[in-house]
Amino acid sequence: MLRYVIKRVLTVIPVLLGVSFLVFGFIRMIPGDVATTMLGERATPENVARVREQLGLNKPVHEQYLIFIGNALRGDLGRSVLRQEPVTQELIRRFPATIELAASAILIALIVGIPAGIVSAIRRGSVFDAGSMLLALTGVSMPVFWLGLMLIYLFSVVLHLLPTGGRLGASVEFTAATNFLLLDSLLQGNFNVFFQALRHLILPAVALGSIPMAIIARMTRSAMLEVLSADYIRTAHAKGLKERAVVINHALRNAWLPVITVVGLQVGRLMSGAILTETVFSWPGIGRWLVDAIYARDFPIVQGATLFIALVFVGVNLLVDLLYAWVDPRIRFE
Amino acid sequence: MSTVWKKAFVLLALIAILATAGACAPAPAPAAPQVVVVTATPPPAKVQDTFIFGAQGEPVCLDPPIITDGISSRVTRQVFEGLVKFDKDTFNVVPQLAEKWEVSADGKVWTFALRKGAKFHDGTEFNADAVLKNFDYWRNTKNPLHAAQEKAGQTFEYFKNQFWGFDDASIFAKIEAMDASTVRFTLKDPQGPFLNNLAMFMFVFWSPTSLEKAGTNSCKQPVGTGAYKFVEWKANEQVTLEAFADYWDKPNVAKMKRVVIRNIPNNSSRLLALVTGEVHAMEGLEPRDVDAVKADKRLKLLLRPANTNGYVAFNYKVKEFQDLRVRQAFAQAINKQPIIDKLYGGTGQVAWQFQPPAMWGYNKDLKDIKFDTAAAKKLLADAGFPNGISKVTFDGKEVPLDFWYMPVSRPYYPNPKDIGTAIAADWAKAGINVQLQTVDWSTYLDKRKKGELSLYMLGWTGDNGDPDNFICYFFCLNAKDEPKPEDGFFADKEISDVLKKAAATVKQEDRAKLYQQAEKLIYDKTIRIFMGNNQPPLAFLAGVDGYVVNPTGSEYFNTVVVK
Repeated sequence: MLRYVIKRVLTVIPVLLGVSFLVFGFIRMIPGDVATTMLGERATPENVARVREQLGLNKPVHEQYLIFIGNALRGDLGRSVLRQEPVTQELIRRFPATIELAASAILIALIVGIPAGIVSAIRRGSVFDAGSMLLALTGVSMPVFWLGLMLIYLFSVVLHLLPTGGRLGASVEFTAATNFLLLDSLLQGNFNVFFQALRHLILPAVALGSIPMAIIARMTRSAMLEVLSADYIRTAHAKGLKERAVVINHALRNAWLPVITVVGLQVGRLMSGAILTETVFSWPGIGRWLVDAIYARDFPIVQGATLFIALVFVGVNLLVDLLYAWVDPRIRFE
Repeated sequence: MSTVWKKAFVLLALIAILATAGACAPAPAPAAPQVVVVTATPPPAKVQDTFIFGAQGEPVCLDPPIITDGISSRVTRQVFEGLVKFDKDTFNVVPQLAEKWEVSADGKVWTFALRKGAKFHDGTEFNADAVLKNFDYWRNTKNPLHAAQEKAGQTFEYFKNQFWGFDDASIFAKIEAMDASTVRFTLKDPQGPFLNNLAMFMFVFWSPTSLEKAGTNSCKQPVGTGAYKFVEWKANEQVTLEAFADYWDKPNVAKMKRVVIRNIPNNSSRLLALVTGEVHAMEGLEPRDVDAVKADKRLKLLLRPANTNGYVAFNYKVKEFQDLRVRQAFAQAINKQPIIDKLYGGTGQVAWQFQPPAMWGYNKDLKDIKFDTAAAKKLLADAGFPNGISKVTFDGKEVPLDFWYMPVSRPYYPNPKDIGTAIAADWAKAGINVQLQTVDWSTYLDKRKKGELSLYMLGWTGDNGDPDNFICYFFCLNAKDEPKPEDGFFADKEISDVLKKAAATVKQEDRAKLYQQAEKLIYDKTIRIFMGNNQPPLAFLAGVDGYVVNPTGSEYFNTVVVK
């Protein structure tokens, strides 16, 4: 197992190199340049040339890449050309917001999706089954951007129950240590901030988690239906085991594998969905930062943030593979 | 439940879902459904000591001389002050940290008497030494901090643009402190827009002590003399300021204890935040939401006086556009009024010259060219195009006539795609058949800069309230009178010479006549087609008073009260 893990960790290197090469190349292939975007309507050829020179954009591309890779290996992902902020520092500062949002979204998706899928499978053909699968279809079909705005409209404007966006209210004073606000507030014993942070998190997490919730519910149902028709389940019933024991100890344990796969894939999807959710809810995470950087041709941010997302992907995939072995003892890694 | 009922339930639910999906046809992001005014119970009122402004984006930096964007300047306007500022809702320049000034007869020597008793937020005195140190920071490339900023990738863009350049290349022959409260600028040549340049948001004063301490971290630690001092910048969330108790202008001490400028990039989300009271004011209102805000008693609308112009530009490398009759035909074929009425959200005004009406160089004697499709067709026929135009000769090659519209909403064109489509439709009636084109904003600007756009929409938002900033920026040629690729290879020396003369004249009345003359020449030659001046809308909660809109965006929050 350890050898397998080490081998998988080592494969991260060529994967990240490949991603860095692709993103480095693609962003530079897009027409339009940083200096022009920065200067906007004031972009005279003279001003643009001067800004490009000052920002080092006139170096040969391969030289820029080698400098980038060399620095990246030392943890330096360069500086934003627009704001001159170190990309690594900004990533460290911003990713907790995205992780907190994505984790909350996947938690909601799991808490609602898995039980819904299980019950739908057990009560196949029932009103609950029809209703939950219909909701799942609706959840998958709704664009997260639209859903987000509708949630704000209902819960913030009409019902005045929840805030429209941000991580905390404008007047809340709080110094976060790790920038995981829920964790920081609990550690500091500041329950007011904890509840404020939770209130601000609910709507974006529900919006972001709606599609994974739907997919996980459907996948759980499919996996359970397949398992429930197996001989050993009939045997378990025949032995007189209670329904609960049959479902949890026998059926669910064997239905986990495809569900774990889907959850792993959804984590990747959450990173891209977070971009839209972060925009609608003014959530200060990596997604929105990345989109703004793409529009502004801010290469270092695009490169750094993409590498980070690729790292998250690879990490989650490894975790999913390891979970397989934990869930199913028959699986062993060479 | 019986099978029949189950099926009926599923069918009904499916119909409901489809109906909802059909009604809510997907719109391309980031478009969002129009906000419908709902008479919901308003949130309970509470005593306000904080004014919260919903901004469209994140500041880039809070060090004024190295910023160029309006979002950053909104914050720095509250923290920093300059020698002069724009007065209330006009382009007029009035004293700020200077009490008064004199200019010599030749327009080259400006002497400013500085205000006594003004303090920086760090407690140090504002005086002539502070003025000199700040000018040195902006102008002197050997100034250690200026050099460090440039090495870090920052640029002093506007100083170069407004004052000719750095070091000895700048317009300043000498800057001296005559005493602790008097500063004298000796210019190499008279500069008509000099005062207006000094009123711009970049040319405001740091505490030299704090600037030295901040170093290249100056973007995050602004210290000025303004009514508000900087407290905190939570990246991607908000900037917090608090009232400066020792503000020199006692009658205008900040009325609200704190100001928060909150970053809400999505226009619909920002409006929803306003409706719920999470913010008290916002910019970046979509044109389609203007009527909803006007109708909502909880909200009110203010229009910023126009400082913009949206135009259609010709590329003079297109052989056909070199004929005045063709350009006039294009201009005469557009029915501007309905476009302004319907596609600017009620905030636009028809334009027929470059300057907005409130500018003192505006030519009141000019009238717009009359919309007349038949006359446009006749002009085209006279120019040798009896069957209209759909292809042109661009840089020697015959190509379809592309008409480029912008992919992003800008203050001067709130709905560029719709406006471009409407213009193309008007042209089609006169036999001018264009192909609508666009690319992403960065590429659009790049192509325009290189002179690759044959016929395109663009516009301008003025920087300093001076006609020079509007017209000379575009129509002043360089010293060799070379054509300007970024302005469609414009190369009219007659217009350029008038504008250069106006820029070097100091007396406003004389300058006004020259700008009016330039506007007439631009109009007679149909150098460009000017579509409209937009008055950007700002929305507020009804209980917000004291906000004074300024055409240059120089808006101070110290007079704002939130009830």
